[in-house]
Amino acid sequence: MLSLRISASSGVPVYLQIEQQIKQSIASGVLCVGDSLPSTRRTAADLRINPNTVARAFQNLEREGVIRTVPGGGTYVANFAAPGAGLLKAEKIRRLRPLASQLAVEASQLRFSPEDLHKLLDAALLELEKARRANKSDSSSGTQEGDR
Amino acid sequence: MTAFAIQTHSLVKTYGLGSKQIRAVDGLSLNVPEGSIYGLLGRNSAGKTTTIRMAMGLARPSSGEIKVLGFNPTDDPERVIVLRQVGYVPEDKMLASLSPRKLLELNRSFYPATWSDDLARKVVKRLELPLDTPYLKLSLGNKTKSALAAAIAQHSRLLILDEPTIGLDPVALDELLRLLVEDCSADGRTILLSTHQLAEIEQIADHIGIMDHGRILIEGPLDDILSNFRRLTFTGASLPLTGPSILSVKSDARATQFILQRDPEGFAQELTRNGATLIDSSPMSLNEIFLELCRTTESKEEVSA
Repeated sequence: MLSLRISASSGVPVYLQIEQQIKQSIASGVLCVGDSLPSTRRTAADLRINPNTVARAFQNLEREGVIRTVPGGGTYVANFAAPGAGLLKAEKIRRLRPLASQLAVEASQLRFSPEDLHKLLDAALLELEKARRANKSDSSSGTQEGDR
Repeated sequence: MTAFAIQTHSLVKTYGLGSKQIRAVDGLSLNVPEGSIYGLLGRNSAGKTTTIRMAMGLARPSSGEIKVLGFNPTDDPERVIVLRQVGYVPEDKMLASLSPRKLLELNRSFYPATWSDDLARKVVKRLELPLDTPYLKLSLGNKTKSALAAAIAQHSRLLILDEPTIGLDPVALDELLRLLVEDCSADGRTILLSTHQLAEIEQIADHIGIMDHGRILIEGPLDDILSNFRRLTFTGASLPLTGPSILSVKSDARATQFILQRDPEGFAQELTRNGATLIDSSPMSLNEIFLELCRTTESKEEVSA
């Protein structure tokens, strides 16, 4: 199940925190194609944040094709949702480059070797893949047992 | 055109006579958009409560204009139209010496058109308000809850909360935030709250205004304000010390730290073009922005005095 958490003191705008966490949940398989998301107001009340902030995050995600909104019928994880399937490679690079340079800076400050850094990244990707598989088998056994 | 729930123009309120005159509100221009959750922030005696009292028709402006939901709260009959549509929790929660149940019954009879029994029950339950405790035995927190329940159940177009968190424990505060988002801000209704609890405001407000010495220092959508302010640290020779976007500058032998109040990217690009090196760029929390703004105004006043 989707659980969002907001840190007010992090300096990261709250709508970005929501976007990142929803993308993370899809990447790790916690959310699957067609899963419904709670309403804007519900999410806002649960997190004690402004409804407009949630709406902004949802609008951005919809523009990126991550979720889709059925008028009067709720919000769902879009078909596309292998995230970024619809994006150009150049756009993907533009989004990832700042994260990559930050990782490089931190690693060099800690005198962490490039080989170890590559290993670390591979391990993180592997973990994500594992989580996705675990969630998949979870949800299939879940449907056999009936409703949640 | 955006409609405003509260709008003031060059609003002034002075207290006292002759040389002892105090300008509690000093040329205030406030714009609270309809449908917003607006956080009015300021230090003690910044003029927040005086402004709110003028909005409720409890104090008469010395000069200037104030409109609440498009009406003038200063004079009857318009004041009555305003009061019918506004829920109000005053700073001192001494509303009337009544038990919470009696207070709710009283307020219910004043607002027959909008009062919601369901909402009243919900607020009482969520805030765990003891309904039948005599007024004299209510703790500070329970007086606050009592006033909040009476105002929220009015289900008004505009809810004005003056320091609504006084005496509330963290659980009650959390429930209050949830109630405000869930039940008080839907359908274009507006909440104005004044408080010192900046972290909570940063979460639920979409607009803020920071007041000091009876004036607005800054006002606007919270996201814009948060992205306009930034702390940048540079190394390099002959860095500028003043400029329209610089709020403050601090230097030591190695580096210079700037607090920017608008367009930090443009500023960083210009300095980098002129040979400076950007070594750190970090966002600021609302609390940091508030402290910086209030400090800068104070040091300016010391210089001019």
